[in-house]
Amino acid sequence: MIESLRFATDGFRVIYALLAALLWVMTLLFSKQYFYRHRHLTRYFVFYFITFAAVLGVFFAADLLTLFLFFEIMSFTSYVWVAQEETEAALRASKTYLAVAVIGGLSMLMGIFMLDHAFGTLMISELRQAAGVFLAGTGGNFGNRRTYLYVAAALLTVGFGGKAGVFPLHIWLPKAHPAAPAPASALLSGMLTKCGVFGMLLVNCHLLFADAAWGKVVLILGTITMVLGAVSALFSVDIKRTLACSSVSQIGFITLGIGMIGIMGGHGIALQGTVYHMVNHTVLKLVLFLAAGVVYMNTHSLDLNKVRGYGKKHPFLAVAVAFGGLGLAGIPGFNGYISKTLLHESLVEHMHHLEAEGLQAEIGMFKTIEVLFLVSGGLTLAYMLKLFIAIFVEKGDGEEKDKRSSMTILSGIAVCGSAVLIPVLGLTPNVIFAKIGHAAEAFLGPNYFCATPVLHSESHEIHWLAFANLKGALISVGIGVAVYLLVVRGLLMKKVNGRRVYCNRIPAWIDLEESVYRPVVLAALPFVLAFFSRICDTLVDGVAGFLKATVFAPRKRKMSIWVGTKVTHMLGTVMDGIVAVLNKTLFHNHPITKSFVSLFAVSELEARQTFSLVIGSVSFGLLLAAMGLAISLIYLLF
Amino acid sequence: MGRELLLILQILFPVIAGCLLFVLNRKGNRKVQKLYMSAVLTIECCLVLTGAFVQETAVEGFCLTPSVSLILCNDGLSRVFGVLVALVWLLVGLYSFRYLNETRKPVMFYGFYLIALGVLEGLGLAGNLVTFYLFYEWMTLMTVPFVFYNRTAEATRAGRKYLFYSVAGASFALAGIFFLAGNADGLQFAGNALNATANVKEVLLASIFLIIGFGTKAGMFPMHGWLPTAHPVAPAPASAVLSGVITKAGVLGIIRSLYYVIGADYLAGTYVQNVFLVLALVTVFMGSMLAYKEKVLKKRLAYSTVSQVSYVLFGLALFTPAGYAAALLHMIFHSVIKNGLFLFAGTVIHQTGEERVDGLRGMGKYMPVSFWCFTFASLALVGIPPMSGFVSKWYLAKGAMEASVGVFSYIGPAVLLVSALLTAGYLLSITADGFFPGKDYVEPTPEPGEGHVSMLIPCVIFAVSAVLLGVFASPLVELVTKLGTSLL
Repeated sequence: MIESLRFATDGFRVIYALLAALLWVMTLLFSKQYFYRHRHLTRYFVFYFITFAAVLGVFFAADLLTLFLFFEIMSFTSYVWVAQEETEAALRASKTYLAVAVIGGLSMLMGIFMLDHAFGTLMISELRQAAGVFLAGTGGNFGNRRTYLYVAAALLTVGFGGKAGVFPLHIWLPKAHPAAPAPASALLSGMLTKCGVFGMLLVNCHLLFADAAWGKVVLILGTITMVLGAVSALFSVDIKRTLACSSVSQIGFITLGIGMIGIMGGHGIALQGTVYHMVNHTVLKLVLFLAAGVVYMNTHSLDLNKVRGYGKKHPFLAVAVAFGGLGLAGIPGFNGYISKTLLHESLVEHMHHLEAEGLQAEIGMFKTIEVLFLVSGGLTLAYMLKLFIAIFVEKGDGEEKDKRSSMTILSGIAVCGSAVLIPVLGLTPNVIFAKIGHAAEAFLGPNYFCATPVLHSESHEIHWLAFANLKGALISVGIGVAVYLLVVRGLLMKKVNGRRVYCNRIPAWIDLEESVYRPVVLAALPFVLAFFSRICDTLVDGVAGFLKATVFAPRKRKMSIWVGTKVTHMLGTVMDGIVAVLNKTLFHNHPITKSFVSLFAVSELEARQTFSLVIGSVSFGLLLAAMGLAISLIYLLF
Repeated sequence: MGRELLLILQILFPVIAGCLLFVLNRKGNRKVQKLYMSAVLTIECCLVLTGAFVQETAVEGFCLTPSVSLILCNDGLSRVFGVLVALVWLLVGLYSFRYLNETRKPVMFYGFYLIALGVLEGLGLAGNLVTFYLFYEWMTLMTVPFVFYNRTAEATRAGRKYLFYSVAGASFALAGIFFLAGNADGLQFAGNALNATANVKEVLLASIFLIIGFGTKAGMFPMHGWLPTAHPVAPAPASAVLSGVITKAGVLGIIRSLYYVIGADYLAGTYVQNVFLVLALVTVFMGSMLAYKEKVLKKRLAYSTVSQVSYVLFGLALFTPAGYAAALLHMIFHSVIKNGLFLFAGTVIHQTGEERVDGLRGMGKYMPVSFWCFTFASLALVGIPPMSGFVSKWYLAKGAMEASVGVFSYIGPAVLLVSALLTAGYLLSITADGFFPGKDYVEPTPEPGEGHVSMLIPCVIFAVSAVLLGVFASPLVELVTKLGTSLL
């Protein structure tokens, strides 16, 4: 039933709630300086806190309906963040964001309807069992039961994936992040996308547990997202846009991991990698977006060419961004290394497994994905190098004359305090991450129903500094440096007025949203559908109008009053017609206004009156008599 | 005797009060009119609320012919309908005082407003199909003046269209009643009044006639044409009740005839059900789509009504207790929400004279209360949890999936959701533009002000109820579920 909200808590949920709290505290500390002299702050903060509550609701929801409820609240309240600045770009981005949220939400709701109908329960803890029972059952109006479940899962994934930013619903991220205020971008990227990922984890680990076919679909989506995001981040010349595209790419890594969980049957290594990368990305994007906010506060620009050299005198900021970049790129010693290594390891391990079974065709696919994985890792390093070198190393317009501190103490705590977490997480993989891993395995792993879960990770100790694990990172670093030197310094810069500046080489029309979604969703589809709706709409009106014009038409009345005789009327009508034609053509400027019908009628009347007068007169009588005499005279003569 | 009197009084009191208003207040002292109206509406509300809690009673009035008599009866459904009508009427009545202040002869509105209230209470209380039909026709006649009220050429045309559609619809319904009368032992609302020798073909044909006939008032395709024409020309309070209540009279007609006379079991699985489902779903989609395309605010809301009332009809077309309960739920919620939305439109028109949607850009700053009311009502209509629209849609979808209606089990919810998407498109865009006009927005001079408090209070009450009825839906859900299971 729908009356009650249900909540549950366990290790993993608590970890994410704590992370959310951390993000909100840090962004709040940062907000004081960032929003100095901004407008509409009450509005912003009201929605800021409601969204916090909603995010907690999402993580603590015990059933899908509760989750859906808070998910929707979160979508709507965070919409205000994106629209906050009220610039044209912000309003446009916010509409895209809202559209993805609403479409995703409704799709999700349909999935929930289907699950509720099939299972009779929406409790997350019962989903896995219920799905098993459902698949084993027969009858009902479900059609093919497995297909039914896939459809429901796909519908749910549209909603969750849209929020997470998985291709092809990632369109809102690169638009919304640059438009939103920096603290809001940090939250959107760090936490709200993770709510989507959390939902996808629920679908993959509870609804369709260890479903390899489904896992493969998710894996492919993740790979596309990963590569696409990394490439567009490389090309971008806007700090926040780079970070937003980077978010898309990192979400791609996570989605790839989610796919691997399904393929590997809930195996610990993929699950750990996924969850670690989730956590890492949350922390990293918090640091990086706040740092971008610092740059924006002081230079009022996000354009790489304009902020160039800004950070030369800001060592703390430089360290924070460096940590963020190194973490994101997966350099050993920083947190990203741990998660990326695990994800990579899961791919490798699965290939070994396939090799053992002799499935050559599949290995090819995974080989490709592994290459793409390493290349994307390299691109990550390349675009972060691009950002870092542009802001902190190169000379340029952004260089400040005075040595005034760019951050207040509060902001400094927010940025640097968050940045400290990056190496701490990276250097103690067996302490903090192990705890997170245990919690995640208890919540999402295969032993969910066991009272005391058997933990995989204990039997699977990873040597972080073994060459096999370092190899992947080193390949990525190599690719990254090469790409930076060759592509970024070469292809993506051009000379303007004797200076080399960054330029975006992607033509404007390569934009999925502008060139496909908006035309189709806002113009083509409504046009076609509205056309048919309009036909339905006017059906009865049309019939009634037709009847009125034909069968029930009132008898035509003569408009003109009959004047004169038939002859004069006819003549007059003909003349009027001619005059009308002439008025329209020849006498366009000086039309003849008099009516010939009445003119002839009047003349005829006058003539008749004269005539009757004449007839009545004596002289007429005399004239007639004279004529009579004359005629008889002529007759007599001849 | 007291109980019977109460039933009759519910109907007669406002009718007589309305007639008296015409007779006594010809010169039109507006203060007296308002006082009188408030008093009558409040007393009527009390009467109806009292009536809702008395024991079930039937009153047999005079007989038209020996076999056809007029019966009043306060069963569960009539209580729900009666209370809904009375409360809505009271709130919209309060709103109309200020709104109609500048118009020429508000007494023409007030009088018919009261009479229509009495007739609607009668409609709810009708105990057999003949009585129902009597009040149904009178309802049409007493509400036409609302449409004519502005006395423009457009209003006249719209009024004639309203009359044409209503009379055509009522004739269809009457034809259905005739067919039915031959196959039933009287037309009481007994659950299943058909006699043993009923001709199946005739009964099914009669149901089609009844669906189309009563569906006219409910704005169901193909006879929905009057709604988008009549709403924009009527004054806002009139549009509110036309959309929020009068359309529900059509729904009530379908419920009474199909569920209470023919019986839902009889129709489940027949071609009538398929026709009904298709018509309802076509209307749901068509209405939303056209609303999305419409630029005149009140017309947009009218198309939205076309779509939303067919959600109710879709629930009814399932012919299951769950569908019936969900339909009643959505009927109540939509009534509340749509009244709120139309009152918002009225406030905007009253304050700014702006009738088109584009003109509302940036108004959120000047009319914050109204816009927040609009936003919450919109969210409720779209079906964002935990607001009321979500609850009813949830049960509608659940009902559809559990009903054995074949492929409609899935098409139905899908159409409902697509329509909800369009609803978000045509309502939330107004909110978005209202609050976020963008940087290039030029501030209007003179600045429009917020509506008068007597216009805001009803608006706020409707918006708050739209939210709270969803958050605390359990009592209402229990009530309609009980109605559904007791009937089927």
